Amino acid sequence: MPLDYKRFNGPEDSVSYKRFTADYLKSYDELHSELIDETGHRKDGRAMDEARPMYVRGNFVSQAKGSSYIEMRGTKVVCSVFDPREIVHQNEFSTVGLLFCEVKFAPFACKRQRQSHVPDSEEKALSVALRKAVGPTVCCQLFANFQIDIFVYIIESDGSCLAAAITAAGLALANAAVPMFDVVTASSVAIIGDKIFIDPTEDEEHLAMISPDTNTNHGVITMARLNGLMQIADFRQIGSLDIECILKVTDILEQECQKVFPKIQKTLVGYVKNGIMEQKRLSEEGKAREAKLKDKMLEWRSSIVNNSV
Amino acid sequence: MAGILLSHTEKVYITHGVKNEYRSDGRSNIDYRPMELETDVVSHASGSARLRLANTDILVGVKTEIDVPKPDKPGLGKIEFFVDCSANATPEFEGRGGEQLANSISNIMLRAYQSAQAFNLKQLCIFEGKQCWKLYIDILILECGGNLCDAVSLAVKAALFNTRIPFVKAALMDGGNVDLQLSDDPFDSKWLDVGSAPLLVTLCRIGEKCVVDPTAEEESCSLVSLIVGVTGNPKYYNDYEDEEELPAFEAKCSVISMHGPGSVSPQNLRDAINQGIIAAVCLDEALGKTLFRERRDTEQFKRHSYGFLK
Amino acid sequence: MATLRVMDSFLMPGPDLLSSQGLRLDGRRPNELRRIRCKLGVFTQPDGSAYLEQGNTKVLAAVYGPHQASKSKSSTEAVVVNCQYSMATFSTGERKNRPRGDRKSLEMSLHLRQALTAAIKTELYPRSQIDIYIEVLQADGGAYCASVNAATLALVDAGVPLRAYVCACTASMAWHGGSPAPLLDVGHVEEAAGGVVLTVASLPSTGSIALLEMSHRLHSDYFENVLSRALQGCRDIEVILDKAVRDHLAEGWTKQDVVTV
Repeated sequence: MPLDYKRFNGPEDSVSYKRFTADYLKSYDELHSELIDETGHRKDGRAMDEARPMYVRGNFVSQAKGSSYIEMRGTKVVCSVFDPREIVHQNEFSTVGLLFCEVKFAPFACKRQRQSHVPDSEEKALSVALRKAVGPTVCCQLFANFQIDIFVYIIESDGSCLAAAITAAGLALANAAVPMFDVVTASSVAIIGDKIFIDPTEDEEHLAMISPDTNTNHGVITMARLNGLMQIADFRQIGSLDIECILKVTDILEQECQKVFPKIQKTLVGYVKNGIMEQKRLSEEGKAREAKLKDKMLEWRSSIVNNSV
Repeated sequence: MAGILLSHTEKVYITHGVKNEYRSDGRSNIDYRPMELETDVVSHASGSARLRLANTDILVGVKTEIDVPKPDKPGLGKIEFFVDCSANATPEFEGRGGEQLANSISNIMLRAYQSAQAFNLKQLCIFEGKQCWKLYIDILILECGGNLCDAVSLAVKAALFNTRIPFVKAALMDGGNVDLQLSDDPFDSKWLDVGSAPLLVTLCRIGEKCVVDPTAEEESCSLVSLIVGVTGNPKYYNDYEDEEELPAFEAKCSVISMHGPGSVSPQNLRDAINQGIIAAVCLDEALGKTLFRERRDTEQFKRHSYGFLK
Repeated sequence: MATLRVMDSFLMPGPDLLSSQGLRLDGRRPNELRRIRCKLGVFTQPDGSAYLEQGNTKVLAAVYGPHQASKSKSSTEAVVVNCQYSMATFSTGERKNRPRGDRKSLEMSLHLRQALTAAIKTELYPRSQIDIYIEVLQADGGAYCASVNAATLALVDAGVPLRAYVCACTASMAWHGGSPAPLLDVGHVEEAAGGVVLTVASLPSTGSIALLEMSHRLHSDYFENVLSRALQGCRDIEVILDKAVRDHLAEGWTKQDVVTV
């Protein structure tokens, strides 16, 4: 991997000092017991089935055609979408439009390690996942041989990044007035044993990925859903789960996606309203201007007529 | 997929067939096509397998190397998947043309093998924190006839089953560096424990139903497919004296992923996952029995090696 | 004569490639080929394909075409022969990082193209292109020769008109009891020992040479000697390939009959 030579990089086989801090050396059981307190609440005070509060807005990046910003406490994501543009350097004419997705972490986004400026495997995997999740909702057949660029920038990452990125991308696409079948929202869940963490934080996700050797369930599931059509656009599971658990979680995820939906809808309706008002205002202004022009014209014409007479 | 051209009528024919549980080659919706499998085909690799599923041809070679474990996982070995789409399969793969497909397959394999319940990396540890084995699983796609993921996962499991890891004879500590001496005798080695390694099942949604093991023609009729990775049952891969001693086995999903530009309804998804697990359990049993029989034949010198000459 | 002896040992450093009985490291006689086993039509999707195994070197070849050439390559005179040589990452003792794209495989692709263009009746298909893809599954010396031989079979399987079989063979030089004994079909161990390796691709039935390449140093007095040994190898291989093609066709006929019945 190319190194960033503008910074001091330390010896190649060096190990971060954090590895030897007390936090890092905790065993699996310790970490596990830390996640939930005696009252059955999580570290940040949420109940198990409580998602973090979500702040949503569009029109966040002025240069982009459409953009959005989503914040779920520690997870902050910006997405911008640009106009379709013709695909360059392609040998064959593609009959459907393409989506180009790029997910990037800010250098300061993660607790565990600073991200480098070259896209790493995690960013690449997230980009591919985002493209798969958003693909079914965009009417790709309407812009043959064109591609739409979707850029997601993760400002701060504290779990459920992919879900936030998908929801943000769905909103930004709608904000950019790209023809879509439906609004796409996503939600994720971490499973450790018989506990289901809805909208997990980084720590919960991390623990759900490493498994004790016993036969317990562990894993992370992210689902993207088209809410109007009641269809599942993407379903990603990783870890090791039995079938009952998956089916149960599928129901929960559907509900969670449905809960996010009104927020997005409200935001979009707000923008449409604003748009209509704006248009009304513009057309009224236009009419006024036109009337003025007409008056001027009449005045001028009559002056010409007067002069000639 | 490689240049399949189907007319609208042909697609309708296939779709209607699937609806009525009939497929153009006479299978039902959960049947696999016949496969040919041979292990130990590449002598330069520690383990290898070749799988031919209809027109799909996969060759997998496993190579081992000694490496230093990751600082945050001192007791675990490493595993790496590399997929190479040979241009033999289709001219589109020439140069870097197959890279995208290759990356998506290696990604899903990596995700499927991530859980310790699917493949335990502890067995690759030599000296905690100092030395471990790194498995390079190189997958070569020689011909594409649909259903690549399933074929790759079967071939990988067979190749891992065939992999021997030499025993360490002695270890010398020399000022913090470990110097290992490996056994030279190829038979002085251990087999990998791969019983629980996952198999991937691709379920192709055609109309309202899902089919297992789609042909290239069926793949082109479908907008979306679901890949389910299901862990294997160690029972079929080991020679247990007493089967009752085994802990109860339950097939678990190690990965689920969706491919293609379409979407599925929730009920469809549930049915598909169920269908995938049923198919994977059957497949796992068949694979385990075949591999075990082949190993026994090899030990008794009964086996003929065919390679590509058959 | 004695001085010449000294010169010889100076010219041929390295270990003895021949035992006192006159046998090579793998037990072959100097003029003996490794066992060649081959099969045509291993795959269904390519227009022609072949598998060839020469000792422990195993090669797959696939041929697509002739089809319309891409614009940049198209030639109005003759068909464009496009070759790609790639080695499986597990084909060598040490794992390779990349199957293709390195300098060695690019050079091999060029050499393959040179040898195969000489054999194909290129003037028959102007504005077209033939793709030949080689996949080395296991490399144990002489991978280029095996590739050329496999490609010939694949071309025959694809029904591409050829002037003649193009066969490739390597030869090296050893000394037995002070007299020169050229070695035929060099294996990996002999290659690694550092002797001279002469690679010849020829069209034996027309008596022409399509490609000649030599590594290391060889006294020009012995060149003729080594070359004739290599050419003899090419002629031997041609016989083997011809037999394989005839067997395949005979088998093909019976198979087809079964299908029609």
